[in-house]
Amino acid sequence: MRKNHFALIIFAYVSFWCSVDYVWSATQDTLFSTKVSQSPLSGGETTVDDTSRDAFAKPLKNLPTELLRDFTFGNKMFNTKWVTAPASVTSLDGLGPTFNRRSCAACHFKDGRGEPPRSLDEPMKSMLIRLSIPGKTENGGPVAHPNYDLQLNDSAIHGVTPEGNVTITYEKITGEYADGTSYTLQKPIYTFNNLAFGELGDTAMFSPRVSPAVFGMGLLDSIPDEVILNLADPDDKDNDGISGRPNMVWDDIENEEMIGRYGWKANTASIEQQDADAAFGDIGLTNRIHPKENCPPAQKQCQQAVQGEQPDISDMQLDRLTFYISNLAPPARRNVDDPRVIMGAKLFERAQCASCHIPQIKTDSHAIYEELANQNIQPFTDLLLHDMGDALGDGRPDFLATGNEWRTPPLWGIGLVSTVNQHTNFLHDGRARNLEEAILWHGGEAEASKEKFKAMNKDERKALIQFLNSL
Amino acid sequence: MKKHLLTFAIGASLISASIPLQVIAQDRSANEKIIQNYATMVHQDYKRTYEDALKLQSNIIAFLDNPTRETMDEAKKAWLESRNSYSQTEAFRFYEGPIDFADADGNEGPEGRLNAWPMDEAYIDYVQGNPNTGLVNNDGEEITIATLMNKNQADDEADVATGYHAIEFLLWGQDLSLESAGQRPVSDYTKTSDNERRRTYLKLVTDLLVNDLQTLVKAWAPDQDNYAKDFIRDDDALANIIKALATLSGFELAAERMATALDSGDQEDEQSCFSDNTHNDFIHNQQGIMNVFFNTALYEELKKKDEELAENLKEQILESKKLLESLPHPIDREILNTPKHSASRMQMEKAITSLQQQADLFKKAGNAFDIEASINE
Repeated sequence: MRKNHFALIIFAYVSFWCSVDYVWSATQDTLFSTKVSQSPLSGGETTVDDTSRDAFAKPLKNLPTELLRDFTFGNKMFNTKWVTAPASVTSLDGLGPTFNRRSCAACHFKDGRGEPPRSLDEPMKSMLIRLSIPGKTENGGPVAHPNYDLQLNDSAIHGVTPEGNVTITYEKITGEYADGTSYTLQKPIYTFNNLAFGELGDTAMFSPRVSPAVFGMGLLDSIPDEVILNLADPDDKDNDGISGRPNMVWDDIENEEMIGRYGWKANTASIEQQDADAAFGDIGLTNRIHPKENCPPAQKQCQQAVQGEQPDISDMQLDRLTFYISNLAPPARRNVDDPRVIMGAKLFERAQCASCHIPQIKTDSHAIYEELANQNIQPFTDLLLHDMGDALGDGRPDFLATGNEWRTPPLWGIGLVSTVNQHTNFLHDGRARNLEEAILWHGGEAEASKEKFKAMNKDERKALIQFLNSL
Repeated sequence: MKKHLLTFAIGASLISASIPLQVIAQDRSANEKIIQNYATMVHQDYKRTYEDALKLQSNIIAFLDNPTRETMDEAKKAWLESRNSYSQTEAFRFYEGPIDFADADGNEGPEGRLNAWPMDEAYIDYVQGNPNTGLVNNDGEEITIATLMNKNQADDEADVATGYHAIEFLLWGQDLSLESAGQRPVSDYTKTSDNERRRTYLKLVTDLLVNDLQTLVKAWAPDQDNYAKDFIRDDDALANIIKALATLSGFELAAERMATALDSGDQEDEQSCFSDNTHNDFIHNQQGIMNVFFNTALYEELKKKDEELAENLKEQILESKKLLESLPHPIDREILNTPKHSASRMQMEKAITSLQQQADLFKKAGNAFDIEASINE
């Protein structure tokens, strides 16, 4: 890429001139903006310019060369297919006894987004079902199901029976845009099969989740608490119909209640906790946060299975994994100068999508790694919980999140999902088959925005989607 | 981002009439010389790699035709030679050229099919303790080139079905001992119905490798309507050439292939673990970097821009080469299996540091040409 000093001068001039719209001027220390930027740098100086299938798999652009070895070690941990203990490579055994997939990458393929099964015969490859019963633990979290714990493990090592599995069928729902164009949505219906330890029971609650993309996590971690709190409006004092509140969750690492940032319901506060939970819950790897195998009392085979050296994933391995996840870069935006993309951005603002999908945030001056600090990022999230209506609700509370509340998911990289993961399924359970459907499922606090989208003409709707695909 | 910068460049050119045009012209012809030489070299190197793969193919056919210890050894020898020439071409990766990214429709280049690693060998064939695993033993799935292509990294990055390391595993078998490379018996390939699927697999996976290399030769052939034609006209060509060298030095080689193997201590983290050829992978990657630096006029032109930097980079490259060539091998026994702070581990650490410095000097070389050569993208 050619550097051009004249270009830099023009750039400086343009950004100065635009400082009313775009908040990043030297004099004005604004922490976020609901205006869409026209910069391609979705992660500030950390942004990587990559549109290939590896677009989500790159280290922060400004990560120093000497730190790349920790990144590649973490990448190896992410891709490692764990095996049953005892195995010849003892550092990589300890799978299960029950689990969902053998590696992180199996669900987060190419560090990207999962999808529901493509047919009734296909197992859930990048999706799982969370479980709980009513009540709260002493830390405020969901209460594990007595026989199945917090999620259904549909796989197990040799000699151990898997907990069961879930299949999905869909019901068609039709609707119409204001201009008369009709559309069809698909509503998922879940069936539990082969439950090995009895029925779930009438009070049990479940929540289907596809695996989210994992890049940009360090930047989300670096968003100051005060920005998230500032964006919150739990009592809707500004009367715009949009409230938004942080999930307050227990963090085992800091041993305190913190603002939840990760997961579909923002039920995790730190990347390390997220990684430790996923290693334990999804792959069955004991670790310093979860030292005991995940075997509820009813699961005798699970309890009697041979254990390898404990913990299954060592502290060093977990640290590298966390380093890796913290330092995956967001990809640069594309086509930012395309007039249709610019028009789409205006429509996005006008429909108040930007009230929750916050276009610009400045990261903290103190971050876990200095490369993440003081970056002007375009995450398109407020990390807050919003009531999204009954149609999307799962009826399963998670810390402060109610059954209808979901965290605003970041939208960066969303236009590259089709390249990286070769599908365009969106929302927590992947029910939306494309971005249009994802918008049409919005309800609750987002009802008015959805109605504005439905009122747009065909060209406007197309421009809005084109804008989303530029992210 | 490319488009974005371009817009600014156009904007800038409107008001930059005062730049002496002569300076720009000289720069361009110097860059063009490097770029033209580079394109020619890439074509020749892929051609050599393709020809070595054809030799591998004929040796494998001869082995399958008459499976003996001797024909198997010949096939292994041909693999080792073809592997070394491929390793040198890795200096042409990392900028979405034909090896990584093929066309505007988003069809990927063949890199993942040729060179995916690390691999879960149980995805292909039997392993210790699991005699019926892998595609070879899954009778329900017909083994065709299409199957192999579709199965390669289908749902999991470690599910490698094709490429050099798949062939390596099929020839050598698991490396279960520090004393030697893998010891797959010839009897795995005798003409029995039990071996039929493995025999077919080895034949087809080699055919696919040859086909993929042929597409690379075509993409870089001179005077054709192909990638090479676009490449020599691309404003980003020189940036891509240097970025590839920085990335191979600092990311792929120093971090992913060397440091991670040292840090984890797992034998599986050796790149060519089945054949114990990992040290040659390192040496020939570095040779590929040297080919580009010394044989395309990059070094001479850099000297004109910044003589001190050019000399420092040259010295660093020669230092890395020396350190890599002096690594004790096989890497698993002589380095990875030794205690922390052993002399051989320290030797490998020195090589890693040298390659990291080499990478940072390549980034500076980019700056000397007024371009950005980032490692991480």
